[in-house]
Amino acid sequence: MSNCKSCSAAPTCISAHASINQMHDRTQSLGIDTCFDRYEAQQPQCGFGMQGVCCQLCSHGPCRITPKAPVAICGATADTIVARNLVRLATHGTSAYTHHLEELAKTIKATAQGKTPFSIGDVHKLKEIAGIVGLDINKPVNELAEQLADVILAELRKGADEPLALVNIFAPKTRLEAWNKLGVVPGGVLSEVRDALTKSMSNINTDPIDLLLTVVRLSIAAGYMGLVATITMQDILLGTPSLTTSEADLGVIDPDTVNIVAHGHVPLVATAVLMVAESEEMQALAKQAGAKGIKVYGSMCTGQELMQRSATSGKGFAGQLGNWLTQEFMIATGAVDLVMMDMNCSIPGMKTVADRFHTKLVAVDRILRMAGVTDHVDYQPEQVAEQAKELIRMAVDAYKNRGKDILIPTNKSGAVAGFSVETILGALGGSLDPLLDAIKKGAIKGIVAVVGCTNNRNGHDTKGLTIMKELIKQDVLVINAGCMSSAAQIEGLMLPAAAEEAGEGLKAVCKALGIPPVLNFGSCVDIGRIGVAVTVIANALGVDPSDLPVAASAPEYLEQKAVVDGVFAVAFGLLTHIGPVPPVTGGPLVTKVLTEDIESLLGGRVLVEEDPVKAAQAMVAHIDAKRAKLGI
Amino acid sequence: MRHVIIGNSIAAIKAVEAIRSVDRKAPITIIADEHGPAYSRCLLPDYLAGTRSEADLSIRSRDFYRQMGVELVLGRAVTKVVPADREVELAGGLRYGYDRLLIATGSSTFMPPIPGLGGNGVFGLRSLGDAKAIQSALPGARRAVVVGAGLVGLEAAYALYRRGLEVTVVEKMPQILPQQFDRRAAHILRQDMETEGIRFILGCGIQEVAGPSLWSRVMGKAGQGVFLEGGERLKAELVVVATGAVPNVGLVQDTGIKVNRGIVVDRFMQTSIPGIYAAGDVAETRDAVTGLYGLSPIWPNAAAQGRIAGLNMAGVQREYSSMVGMQNAVEFREVPAIAVGIVNTPGDDYEVFADYRPDKNYYRKLVMKNDVLVGMILVGDIRSAGVLSGLIKKKANVRTFKHLLRRPDFGYGHLLVKLA
Amino acid sequence: MQRIMLHLDRCNGCLTCTLACAAAHSKSGHIIGAMMEGVQSRIHIQSVKGKAVPVLCRHCEEPACVDACMAGAMQKNPVTGIVTNDGNEQSCVGCWMCIMACPYGVIVQSKDGTVAVKCDGCKDREIPACVEACHTRALEYMDVDEFAAVKRQETAYQLAKPAV
Repeated sequence: MSNCKSCSAAPTCISAHASINQMHDRTQSLGIDTCFDRYEAQQPQCGFGMQGVCCQLCSHGPCRITPKAPVAICGATADTIVARNLVRLATHGTSAYTHHLEELAKTIKATAQGKTPFSIGDVHKLKEIAGIVGLDINKPVNELAEQLADVILAELRKGADEPLALVNIFAPKTRLEAWNKLGVVPGGVLSEVRDALTKSMSNINTDPIDLLLTVVRLSIAAGYMGLVATITMQDILLGTPSLTTSEADLGVIDPDTVNIVAHGHVPLVATAVLMVAESEEMQALAKQAGAKGIKVYGSMCTGQELMQRSATSGKGFAGQLGNWLTQEFMIATGAVDLVMMDMNCSIPGMKTVADRFHTKLVAVDRILRMAGVTDHVDYQPEQVAEQAKELIRMAVDAYKNRGKDILIPTNKSGAVAGFSVETILGALGGSLDPLLDAIKKGAIKGIVAVVGCTNNRNGHDTKGLTIMKELIKQDVLVINAGCMSSAAQIEGLMLPAAAEEAGEGLKAVCKALGIPPVLNFGSCVDIGRIGVAVTVIANALGVDPSDLPVAASAPEYLEQKAVVDGVFAVAFGLLTHIGPVPPVTGGPLVTKVLTEDIESLLGGRVLVEEDPVKAAQAMVAHIDAKRAKLGI
Repeated sequence: MRHVIIGNSIAAIKAVEAIRSVDRKAPITIIADEHGPAYSRCLLPDYLAGTRSEADLSIRSRDFYRQMGVELVLGRAVTKVVPADREVELAGGLRYGYDRLLIATGSSTFMPPIPGLGGNGVFGLRSLGDAKAIQSALPGARRAVVVGAGLVGLEAAYALYRRGLEVTVVEKMPQILPQQFDRRAAHILRQDMETEGIRFILGCGIQEVAGPSLWSRVMGKAGQGVFLEGGERLKAELVVVATGAVPNVGLVQDTGIKVNRGIVVDRFMQTSIPGIYAAGDVAETRDAVTGLYGLSPIWPNAAAQGRIAGLNMAGVQREYSSMVGMQNAVEFREVPAIAVGIVNTPGDDYEVFADYRPDKNYYRKLVMKNDVLVGMILVGDIRSAGVLSGLIKKKANVRTFKHLLRRPDFGYGHLLVKLA
Repeated sequence: MQRIMLHLDRCNGCLTCTLACAAAHSKSGHIIGAMMEGVQSRIHIQSVKGKAVPVLCRHCEEPACVDACMAGAMQKNPVTGIVTNDGNEQSCVGCWMCIMACPYGVIVQSKDGTVAVKCDGCKDREIPACVEACHTRALEYMDVDEFAAVKRQETAYQLAKPAV
């Protein structure tokens, strides 16, 4: 918002979305502070923290690197501190992904044993993956599923000295070579997390280069287990996404129904709630309370998971409300009865808004707790059918207390969802060739994955949308995952009609295929899906990912999962644009390695550029250079 | 060089300090009709309310006059100035000669021509004497009427309220503080005072102040109160009149010194007769916002004028950079408010930015003309008052950073970055 | 006479000066105590387009706040040159005239709304707490003459720089 506020329209414009600006006016007039207001209150922010040169590990500290104190009390340099802090961020991100994957593996096991309301959603994928990891695919489906879940759990838990099977199986050979050369092929993820945390304790590992390699190692572990394995297991359980349409923005909220929002990242409880919401028993409850019915909406990545499966396991999904910065405003409509919060990205600010209305916040994951929230329905695969009903009952009770002060913006947009390697192949008639031909001919110059979080630093979704629009204008196909998906959905970029905003070449391809210029790959773990897609393209062309006219951008990155995503993209060989400057600039060596030297080692590098138009231009220039090198 | 200063409030004090900053020796005489050392008239309401003692009203230390080597002639009024002889004459005929004369006689309560205003139980509040008179009338008084909802009136009302009286403020205009604030700000401030229990009757004048009859006076009874224009009677034992002030210019009548409403001075604070200066409430200067000559009877301006007059009297030529005549800070109960310059736009060629949040008692209004800030009101949050009033005073062109002014957190930092 | 000199480009907004100022004006004398006592800082860091900008009292030659003070509380010490409303013979009444008058906006209301609060130059310290605490040397304490010389030099440098 800081930059946004400097323009003359500033006081009324804090978000790229009209609905959020309208809701912010409302929260302000109600005297409720939200992220946008608290962001202002936090200014100016500490320059030491921004540069990453503050160390609080030991009680000699806090130390910070300054002109008058160029090293910490222990002797650590700025680079050591910066790199060590980065390791800790990456460890957070990696371990959070681990939690998601573990919940899935356990659910698949319980499902295979017939203890959950779920069933195996993609038997084909189960057999395919089971075969690749060396299981006997002739076994009964449930037995095979249980075995695969055990394989994944074992992969998570094995030692750091045992290389991850999934890396060997899925990574392009050229990548594997590069990673082996650097010694960054990770072992069991939990062991990697333990090692990384231990290294980043004070005075164990103080070598900035080794610490950076640790970050790379973690990011590869997160990439293949947290991302690729998670989406694969999620597809096996809930079904691989299929092309479908849905709606997004606060305008989808129905004032006449019991409204439940599934908020977070892990779609398991949410799917169970969708499964029982239509039951007679639940519908009767809602009607007794005076509501027309029950609706389940999505917020953040849980919503994206439901949306991309809304033709299958997510049937009945009522639409996506928005991303991270929307969470307080959806409650401020006054028409949300219950928010079920799973895993991460539930901010304490939500409680303040909920307290002003009737909205009930419920934690549905044993690791999520929020001060003041006393309702916990912690997900247990074996109990989830009953837990889903309990949640709906709580929502109906909350609905009865709903007040009269309701304001629902009218804005909403349609969106196509469910893109993946499988659906693209399906759309192209089973072969990638039409897409590759379009790229070779230059109708599509290249592909940029605009992914990751949303961030208030430059206006909610403003930067991400600017980059997307700039890229498609220049015939670059954009792929979204995570909060950036919501940004594009709300502004209509995920509709085929948005092709009109693309350059001539891309427009023609989109029209011919009937697809939008911005493809909806789903949630932030679906960055794994993008990784798989790039691998498939690279294999089809017989080149390394770093040779492709492809780049990644996290224009509004916010939290730690995004840190490992970003480093993974670099390790994968991609030019990776990062929006807000990450807290590394205080370490000259670390900064140089990440933005320059790493390219010769891993093929990718970090591009730091706060101006979205310039960032888009830099990525297009990168794509042009790669095209020239490929001779296309 | 003999300096004579008539008056003993802030303009006089500042003049003394200024003279002494360049001349340790020249004789200085202060002649004033009040008895004690210089005190702050603005604090009289606190004195009246009983929260500040008489000693705490003084604005300079006990031995200020001795340190400054000032001859004090107190309790004596100057009746006339005789420029031809370079002398001033006191009641009784005693004369003081001067080389440089400063007239800093201030102003007195304006008593509108209303029957009964001169009677018992009716007071102004401009001097320590006034405040003491009100104080001695407090025993037995239960109800008070304050006529006029200007700053003095409201301060008096709040002071009397703090003394435990039931207070009603009567104002002819439809809002309180009509000179200083706009209706919206006035509304917030009035609500703030009403919360406390002070009553307001707006848009209504006074017909008569009914003093006590002879008989009731003999019985020691107070007056019957105040009759409003509609004929309604407000019972009160105490009436405070605060309907404005008039400059004390009587002593320069027939001297040839140019007088409009006040004594007209040039940019060196000198009157139309060389060697004679005027400063404070009695002087007319050019206003920074309007460009017109007028009175600016507020403390900061009197202080600055006194300082500039003193320097010029001592031979250091220094120009008075025009001040904004209308600028005031108030806080009665808990809502602080500041108004500077033009706040009620007289024409269409003004640009107004207003941000009003009634639930927070927050109001911010900026008035611009031709990209120059000419007025502002801040209620609730007064942090940026000084920087904004500085821009008003300097007549700075704000075109390039107008959008920044709208920010509630606008401050000097924004200007500093702009300058750098 | 010494003054605090500001190097705007060096400030990174860490706010350490504000903590040190609060500590110096607290009963406990240390940062944690100051935060528990709720002591206000008298140096202010504004954020202007993301750039941290310290705003501090210049202890003006002819201070508008002193002219504006109707209680006589705000005074400029003729020896040290420090302008303060604290510790003088008259006490502040919280009329906010100084806040209205100060063109630098460095005077604020106390938390309880009773008095005006501003920099007192850390009367009892050799070097003001904010200067001592500044890690980036954005704040420096120097003699007024030296201060003027540095300012002149900086201005000359600014003028000599080729126009961008």
